[in-house]
Amino acid sequence: MRVVIAEDNALLREGLVLLLTSVGHEVAAVAATGPEVLPALLEHRPDVAVLDVRMPPGFRDEGLRAALAARERLPELPVLVLSQYVEETYAAELLGAGASGVGYLLKDRVGRVDEFLDALERVAAGGTALDPEVVTELLTRRGTDPLDSLTPREREALHLMAEGRDNATIGALMSISDRAVSKHIGNVFLKLGLPPSDSGHRRVLAVLAYLNKA
Amino acid sequence: MARTELRDALARADRASMQLLMGAGMALLSYVFVAVLLFTVVASLIVIGLGVLPETVLLLRRMAGAKRRQVGRWSGAEIREAYTPLTGTLVERVRKAVKDPGTYRDLRWLVVHFVYGLLLLYAALLLWVIGALVDGVWCALLGRRAVVLPLIVRLADLDTRWSTALLKPSPEAERNAELAERVEELTVTRAGAVAAHGAELRRIERDLHDGTQARLVSLSMRVGLARRAYDKQIAAGPGEAPPDPDVVRKLLADAQDQAEEALTELRHVVRGIHPPILTDRGLVGAVRALAAGSGLDVTVRDDGVEDGPRAPAAVEAAAYFVVAEALTNAAKHSGARRAAVELARGAAGLRLHVSDEGSGGADESGGTGLLGMRRRVAALDGTMEVVSPAGGPTRIGVELPCVW
Repeated sequence: MRVVIAEDNALLREGLVLLLTSVGHEVAAVAATGPEVLPALLEHRPDVAVLDVRMPPGFRDEGLRAALAARERLPELPVLVLSQYVEETYAAELLGAGASGVGYLLKDRVGRVDEFLDALERVAAGGTALDPEVVTELLTRRGTDPLDSLTPREREALHLMAEGRDNATIGALMSISDRAVSKHIGNVFLKLGLPPSDSGHRRVLAVLAYLNKA
Repeated sequence: MARTELRDALARADRASMQLLMGAGMALLSYVFVAVLLFTVVASLIVIGLGVLPETVLLLRRMAGAKRRQVGRWSGAEIREAYTPLTGTLVERVRKAVKDPGTYRDLRWLVVHFVYGLLLLYAALLLWVIGALVDGVWCALLGRRAVVLPLIVRLADLDTRWSTALLKPSPEAERNAELAERVEELTVTRAGAVAAHGAELRRIERDLHDGTQARLVSLSMRVGLARRAYDKQIAAGPGEAPPDPDVVRKLLADAQDQAEEALTELRHVVRGIHPPILTDRGLVGAVRALAAGSGLDVTVRDDGVEDGPRAPAAVEAAAYFVVAEALTNAAKHSGARRAAVELARGAAGLRLHVSDEGSGGADESGGTGLLGMRRRVAALDGTMEVVSPAGGPTRIGVELPCVW
C-alpha cells in the first residue's frame, strides 16, 4: 500500500516509516507540519493516510483539521488518525462524514504491530478502526438506558463492533463460534431497538450513532 | 540678621495665609454646594432628584478630597480616603451613597468648615495688620524675634488639625479601606498566580507529550517489530529466509536506548514538578546539595527553617528552584567564586537570599532565568527582589508567604 505519514515527532516519524516499510508498504511522503499535510495528500493520493492530531505550528489539532479537510476534498480517502490521548469529540468529528475508511487510535497501539497493521488495512479497505478507549468513553458516558439490559458478553460484542471489528475477529477475540457471535449481536440490536444490518461499516455507523445519541 | 528673621517670618506667614485663603475659598464654595445639596435633597423627596443624588455625593467627595490633599500638603501627613464605591444600577448607587458613613462625615465637615474656614481667614487678616505694626517695630527696630506673624502659621496648623479630625475616616471605615486594598492586591496576585500555574501545567504537559510519551511509543514500536521478526524466525519454513538477526538486535538495542532516554526525561520532568531530594532531605538539605554541586564555594545559613514544621511542598519547591537558578546564574554568568544562601523562617513565610561576589549586571530581559524565577515566586503570591548593579555583587531576595 502507498501511505502518507504526517507526524511532527522525528522519532515517531522514523519509527512509523521503519515499521511500514519493513512489512512491505510504500511510504509516498512524510509531512512534519500541519500545512504540509493537505498538499501531500492531494498530490500523492495514498491508499491510506496516517495522521498525528497535534502538529506544528500551533500544536493543537492541525492533523485532525487536515484529515477533515482532506476527507472533504477526497471523500474516499482512508485516514487513520493517531494521537497520544483520545477525545470522544474528535472521534465524533472524524466519523461525522461517515465511518467508511476512518480510524482513530491511540499511538500506544502502534506497538502491537500486527494489530496496528490489521487496523491500517481495515481502514484502507474502507472499514473502521476505533480505539477501545474511545468506545469505552462512549459506553460509560451514558446514564441509565437500554445498554443496561445487555449481558456482559453482549456488551463486549457491542464494544468490539464499535471498534470496527468484523464477526470473525469478534468471535476470535471472545473465543466463541460465529454462530454465538451472530446471536449476541442479534440480541444487542434487538435490545437497543436498532434495525439489523450487515457486518460492514454501516453496522459500525448504526452502533456509533446510537452511542453518540445523547 | 533681624532682617532675615523678619523675612522668614513673613514668608512663613505668607504661606500659611495662602493655605487659609484656599480654605476660605473652599468654605465659600461649600456655600454654593449647600445650595446644590438642598436642591438635590428636596428633589429627591419628589423622586426626580434621586438621579443626581449619587453625582452630588461624588461632588461632595471631590471637595472633601481637595481639602484632604490641601491639608496633607501642609502637614505632610496624608489623610486616607475610605468611601464605598458607587457602582451598579442607579438604585444601588443611591443606596450606597446614602448608606456610606463617609457621606455624613463629609457633610459634617462641610458645615463646620464653612464656619472655621472663614473665621480662620478673618483672624489671619487681623493678625497681618497687627503683625505688620508690632513685628515691624519689634523685629526691624529692636532686633527681637517676630511674635505675631508666627501666630498665622499656628492658625494654619489649627485648620489642619480640625480638618484632619473631621475628614479622617472612622477607624472601622479605615480598616475596611485597608481590607479592600488588600483584597484588590490579592485579586491581582491571584490572577497572576493562576496564570503562572497554568503556564507551568502546559509546560509539564508539553514535556510529557513531546518527550516521554513519544519515546515510549517509539520504544513499544521497536519491541513490536522485534517480536514480529522473532515470530517469523520461528515460523520460517524450509527454503524461507529467516529475518536478519542483526536487524532484530538493533531494534532491541534502540528500544533499550529509548527506554533509558524516556527515564531520563521523566526524571527531568519530575524534578521540575517537585525535586525528589526535597522529600528525602528537606529544604535545607536539598539546598546544601545544590550548593555542593554548584561548582562555587557556597555557604548555606539556615535561620530556623530546619527546626519545626516544614513549609508546604509548593513553597519548598519554589525556594529550591530559585536557589538552583540563582546558583546556576552565579556560576555561569557572574564570574563569582563564592556565594551565600540564607534561608530564614519568618512569621509570614519563608525568606531566602542568594548573594554572590560576581560582576553583577543581571538583566531580567536577558533571559538568565530571572523571569522564570519571578514567575515561580509570583505563582505563590511571593515577592522577589533583585539587586545587581554593574560591577556587582548580585543579591536576590525572595519572600514566599506560607503558614507553618
